[in-house]
Amino acid sequence: MVGLSYAAVPLYRLYCQATGLGGTAGTGGDPERIERMEPVRDRLIRVTFNADTHASIQWNFKPQQSEIYVVPGETALAFYKAKNPTDKPIIGISTYNVVPFEAGQYFNKIQCFCFEEQRLNPQEEVDMPVFFYIDPEFAEDPKMAKVDLITLSYTFFEAKEGQKLPLPGYQ
Amino acid sequence: MSTAMNFSNKSFTPRPPDKGAFPLDHFGECSAFKERFMECLRQSGYESAACRQSAMAYLECRMDRQLMANEPLEKLGFKDLINEKSEEKPKKS
Repeated sequence: MVGLSYAAVPLYRLYCQATGLGGTAGTGGDPERIERMEPVRDRLIRVTFNADTHASIQWNFKPQQSEIYVVPGETALAFYKAKNPTDKPIIGISTYNVVPFEAGQYFNKIQCFCFEEQRLNPQEEVDMPVFFYIDPEFAEDPKMAKVDLITLSYTFFEAKEGQKLPLPGYQ
Repeated sequence: MSTAMNFSNKSFTPRPPDKGAFPLDHFGECSAFKERFMECLRQSGYESAACRQSAMAYLECRMDRQLMANEPLEKLGFKDLINEKSEEKPKKS
């Protein structure tokens, strides 16, 4: 799982370079979908939050709520918090994981703090929001019928110039 | 929109967020709104639906301070709250 998280960061960078999308271009269809979707009130889902930091980064990083109850089709907000307790600025970059992984396809992040470098100055502490929704189609997928717990995990790595992340199966 | 670089069919592939990353709120300009939201969550047993008003207020705070691209609130899933709000004049501070 660590290997997969490692790979996701440079993959996203390559994706951005190839397509020119810096993560700021919204896909045309999504805002319409969000505006039109209706909450599925009879499928309450518990979303729990994990926070990890790779050994290389000295940030203190944690979720501000351990769980939140949401329903598919309704946007939701949650917060993490990060602090740089050192006396040097540190640049971090994060990736995320969703379990069960089959539920991941329905987990849509509208905006968050991931995949782009974030710089914290010495002693700085910031709120890090995640704005997301679970697609209403989740409620129609028979494979998801017994899923009422989804766990979102973020992991921060230190971003260094020229750092080579060990990618499994590459180079 | 998946890349051709999936090296495993059955693994989870993280996707970038639709609207990219939130700029960091380095000066805590919206911390008060966040606190109100978190307090609402604590009081409601962490039920997201009960705190959507506070969530919307937080995002409006970000938009007002260029900490988030401006987006009509309906497109962020708050169309039902907008209809309620149109009765009163919202005070943005």
